[in-house]
Amino acid sequence: MARILLNDLSVDIPIFDVGTASLKKALLGRAIGGRFAQAGSIVTVNALKNLSFEAHVGDRIALVGDNGSGKSTLLRVLSSVYPPTVGTAIVEGHVSPMFDATLGMNMDATGLENIRMSGTIWGLTRAQIEGSMEDIADFTELGSYLEVPVRTYSNGMLLRLAFAIATVRDPEIMLIDEVIGVGDQKFFTKAFARLQGVIQRSQILVVASHADEILRVLCNKALWLEHGKLVKYGAFETVMAAYRGTELVTAEPDSEWSPPLGVAATN
Amino acid sequence: MAYAVGSTIAREFIDGFRFPQIWGMLGWDDIRQRYRRSLLGPFWITLSMGVFIVLLGVIYARLFKTDIAVYLPYLSVGLVTWGFIATTTTEGCRAFQEGERILKQIKLPYGVYILRVVWRNVIIFLHTIVIFIPVAVLFKVEPTWYMLLALPGMGLIYINQVWVTFVLAILCSRYRDIMPIVATSVQILMFATPIMYVRDSLGESAWIADINPLYHLIELVRAPLLGQAPAILSWEVGIATAVVGTAMALALLVRTSRRIVFWV
Repeated sequence: MARILLNDLSVDIPIFDVGTASLKKALLGRAIGGRFAQAGSIVTVNALKNLSFEAHVGDRIALVGDNGSGKSTLLRVLSSVYPPTVGTAIVEGHVSPMFDATLGMNMDATGLENIRMSGTIWGLTRAQIEGSMEDIADFTELGSYLEVPVRTYSNGMLLRLAFAIATVRDPEIMLIDEVIGVGDQKFFTKAFARLQGVIQRSQILVVASHADEILRVLCNKALWLEHGKLVKYGAFETVMAAYRGTELVTAEPDSEWSPPLGVAATN
Repeated sequence: MAYAVGSTIAREFIDGFRFPQIWGMLGWDDIRQRYRRSLLGPFWITLSMGVFIVLLGVIYARLFKTDIAVYLPYLSVGLVTWGFIATTTTEGCRAFQEGERILKQIKLPYGVYILRVVWRNVIIFLHTIVIFIPVAVLFKVEPTWYMLLALPGMGLIYINQVWVTFVLAILCSRYRDIMPIVATSVQILMFATPIMYVRDSLGESAWIADINPLYHLIELVRAPLLGQAPAILSWEVGIATAVVGTAMALALLVRTSRRIVFWV
């Protein structure tokens, strides 16, 4: 059974300027009494502060907050990329992170080669990749373009391919970081349905996005972060009302995308 | 992938070996990338090394007034093996930077990024060591059973290169100065190590070669392929550096694994 348990979690991220990355300067600093070591000081960002929450099977959590509030950092803690500086993060279950849909893609390789490469990095076995080949080919509708270098694809085609590969897996915990973006309308309908299918097969979902309409369809809970701190966590509409209530300007994304007709909310 | 950063440090090292499908694929793709749309593809690796060996061999055999039938086999194995060590060491500094996109998205054991670099250089080694075959045939190198010892010799070089790459990748991601220092040191070592000359030609200064672990590691592959057993001392040095070096790499990993992702 998948489970997420964060207890008093804080993450400090060091930012390096060129000054401190130099071994020479570090050594010089020590030799001359430490003065130079201060010249290139390391700036630390408290990305997350004392975060505690639990998630269990069936939770579909929308991660909301302004830019820089710590959403991406939290997602990376959940996918074990960032270690906690203080506190604990227990994440049980197979995690499928979807942060960069084009992960592992090689522009000079063909569509088919990229499916194999990306699939391997995502953690799929050869059997799984070969088995899904037809499904991916159908979904992307790229046809013989799959045998041509990905370099020649348009942005929309690239997204179709990336999306197809990224949604092959059956995750237990699914993490999404604002992946849904550019694309044509027809694809969006298809992509959304496919994404929903994958999400429904997952046990826990955490998705960060500014697009409220998407979140409303996908999620039943929401977690509001501000400056790295947890402001509110609970039922979707309750938290969203509080979150949007404090906004002076509605933070609408640039696209005029709205969920396809007939797609029901999963609340 | 249920993997926590730094949960068990040795896992970052050992578990790297458990994903050959990932580092094997990435390493091989690195090579295909370099030779895409070229006429000869990876065969260029063999060709360019071959030309280099022949030119160097002919010129230096004359300079040193040595018999080319003895010199060229010696030089070819030495250069090819050195090529593996030198390139893996310098490229290894950037192992994490090369994998930056993946490293910051998905948790894979750090060993994966290291083994990718080592593996692609093993592929290059395999493409270049084949040059020795026509050389050995042409200059009538006597085949003996000792030649099989080159395999464990190469294995020991591989094991040593893994910990070296690990240490350098970690240090270089934090201190960006280290890479040029490594590159220069490798160039200097190429002349300090008997590759283009034999150890005995150093005369009284032969100790320079004897204290150099790289000399011993190269001997573990070169001596067998030239038909002799390597000195026991070379085995001892090779194994000792592997053990001590791996311990060092693990110790460094314990101290740094939780921060590497922020350094890269």
